[in-house]
Amino acid sequence: MAILLLLPALALVAGVFLWPLLRYGWLSLQASSVLTGLVPVPNGGANWQRLLADGRFWQDAAQTLRFAGLSLALELLLGLALALLLHRPLPRRGLVRAVVLLPWALPTTVMALGWRWILNDPFGPLNGLLQSLGLPAYGFLSQPATTWLFTVLADVWKTTPFVALLLLAGLQAIPSELEEALRLEGAGPWQRLRRLTLPLLAPYLLLAALFRLAQALGVFDLIQVLTGSGPASSTESLALYAYLNAMRFLDFGYAATLMLGMFAVVLGLSALVLLAQALRRRLAEMAP
Amino acid sequence: MAPGALALLLWAAVGLVVWAWPRPVEVSVLMPAPFADATAPLVAAFNREHRELQIAVTRGPLDTEALSDLAISSLLLGDTPYDLLLMDVTWTPKYAAAGWLEPLEPLLGDNALAGMAPGAQLGNTFGGHLWRLPLLADMGLLYWRTDLMDAPPKSLQELAATAADLQRRGVVPWGYVWQGRQYEGLSCVFLEVLRDFGGHWLRPGDDRQSDLDSPEAIAAAGWLGGLVRSGVTPDAVANISESESLQIFGAGQAAFMRNWPYAWAELQKPGSVVAGRVGVVSLGNGTQGSWGFSLLKGSAHPQQAAAVMRWFTSEATSRDLAVRFGYTPVWQSLLDDPQLQEQLPLLPVLRQALECTALRPLTPLYAQLSDVLQRQLSGLISGSGSAEAAMAEAQRQSTLLLRAAAPGA
Repeated sequence: MAILLLLPALALVAGVFLWPLLRYGWLSLQASSVLTGLVPVPNGGANWQRLLADGRFWQDAAQTLRFAGLSLALELLLGLALALLLHRPLPRRGLVRAVVLLPWALPTTVMALGWRWILNDPFGPLNGLLQSLGLPAYGFLSQPATTWLFTVLADVWKTTPFVALLLLAGLQAIPSELEEALRLEGAGPWQRLRRLTLPLLAPYLLLAALFRLAQALGVFDLIQVLTGSGPASSTESLALYAYLNAMRFLDFGYAATLMLGMFAVVLGLSALVLLAQALRRRLAEMAP
Repeated sequence: MAPGALALLLWAAVGLVVWAWPRPVEVSVLMPAPFADATAPLVAAFNREHRELQIAVTRGPLDTEALSDLAISSLLLGDTPYDLLLMDVTWTPKYAAAGWLEPLEPLLGDNALAGMAPGAQLGNTFGGHLWRLPLLADMGLLYWRTDLMDAPPKSLQELAATAADLQRRGVVPWGYVWQGRQYEGLSCVFLEVLRDFGGHWLRPGDDRQSDLDSPEAIAAAGWLGGLVRSGVTPDAVANISESESLQIFGAGQAAFMRNWPYAWAELQKPGSVVAGRVGVVSLGNGTQGSWGFSLLKGSAHPQQAAAVMRWFTSEATSRDLAVRFGYTPVWQSLLDDPQLQEQLPLLPVLRQALECTALRPLTPLYAQLSDVLQRQLSGLISGSGSAEAAMAEAQRQSTLLLRAAAPGA
């Protein structure tokens, strides 16, 4: 009986998730490109051999992880600070919250164009600021070593409000009596944060981290508009590489392989996060 | 009979007539929004004059690649709603190899391109078939400041020397701006320099071989890298596309700019700092970048679509688009027309530029080849490695790509 009730949901999951995944798996075992006239021809795992030997895939994977890691860390930190701030009784709290949410409401391509202009060398406002301080203009988007940091900056600017919103919901679910009780016991703000707020916020932090990690690992439009993967492909992400293969090169077999490779990376990382969480809980239980 | 029933009958009769009335054939065209807007009045006039044949234009995205994405998505679904697609020159072999295009010679005859400027005829045929009918020509041009020098430079070496000299004397902050962002524009810039140095992208006579590690190609890449290293071109070029270079040159901050013909009108607009102080010359080997119509496979009415294509690219339409929007005509007769030359001061330059344009390699793998080249050049101009190493790597990867395309070759 239970399985019958589950069936519609299972069918939905299978239809929108499992079927495309299987289809990708099948496509990744075919040569299907302009060279075959887009007709799939089985090529005996050649795509997978190519993936393993493809330096660009591994470089992009490392760059994507680098981007996602720093973005995630900064967003959780800033998002937490912002949520704590918004949780306090502020004057005109509704307005402040709306303003804080604005970046999240902007379409990514629009805000990426905005950042491309802000970071423009030499006319952008940021370089204007540097020059008014007597400093030379800096090529924010033209240095392979540092340009990725500014893609992170733009991403943090846009998505911190999302994290803050999630964490704010978590903060509001914490009964205020607990906080008052701790305060009466003489706990300072830092202790209250560490002993009460953070542990109770943990599920929300985890949720925000998982959401953001999945999104950041699939980053596409921000980088496409801001840097076009450059300079020297130093900001290319896995999603951009897969897109390039599918839509520009019309190499669907390899694009499917790349997508699955990327999927494996995301899955592995999410598993790691969940594992770390479970381990932490186990340790906490074992502690006296 | 009740009046209600009578009215019902009357409406039914009207409905029947409307339903049975011969409906006009509608030819659906997908093109970038600016072209759709420019041709809108002409299309409206055409639709008024032709009861039996109507043109429905879809305004696609402005960005070249975004338009390609939209078209490809519709083609992959199998039943594209468009009859005609306005295509960039580099797409033709890829779309043809994917089996998305109808060859045009059965509809337009074997001499459809006769009468067009030599530079405009290139890039429309591939594998022995005509796939595209050009609407307008486009090519890389050199913009220079008439108030800073008496005549434009005659060679790249002279250009670099003049630019450096003007910078040294503090006349302009930058010498030469071009498109160095990692995208198609960088390949276009490089191809022009490459041809100027006497090099080729693919080996002449054997287009299954890449020729990017020739001494000429290394010298060309070295020249571009040298511009950045010597400060003639700003470091920022690594993220500069057409609009950013126009900004710098338009603000009077550079002595030279490489750009497409559209920049001319932008520089003449009221408020432009350099209006009246800009000259344009052919680069000698300007990269060809034209737009043209292709007939998509599966079109329900190819004959009518061909007629629409002919009308869009006719001399009359071309003249109108040239006068009103400065679109470079492809017809030699229009390029030679004294009256038109009077109306469009840039026309003689464009005419000369169209005598010799550089064509990007005609292969279904062009996007991959260009991507490989862009990566290496972007690395070179943003400051890591030598021109030899960059070109050797570009050659290695291009060779792998081309070998996969022609196993056994």
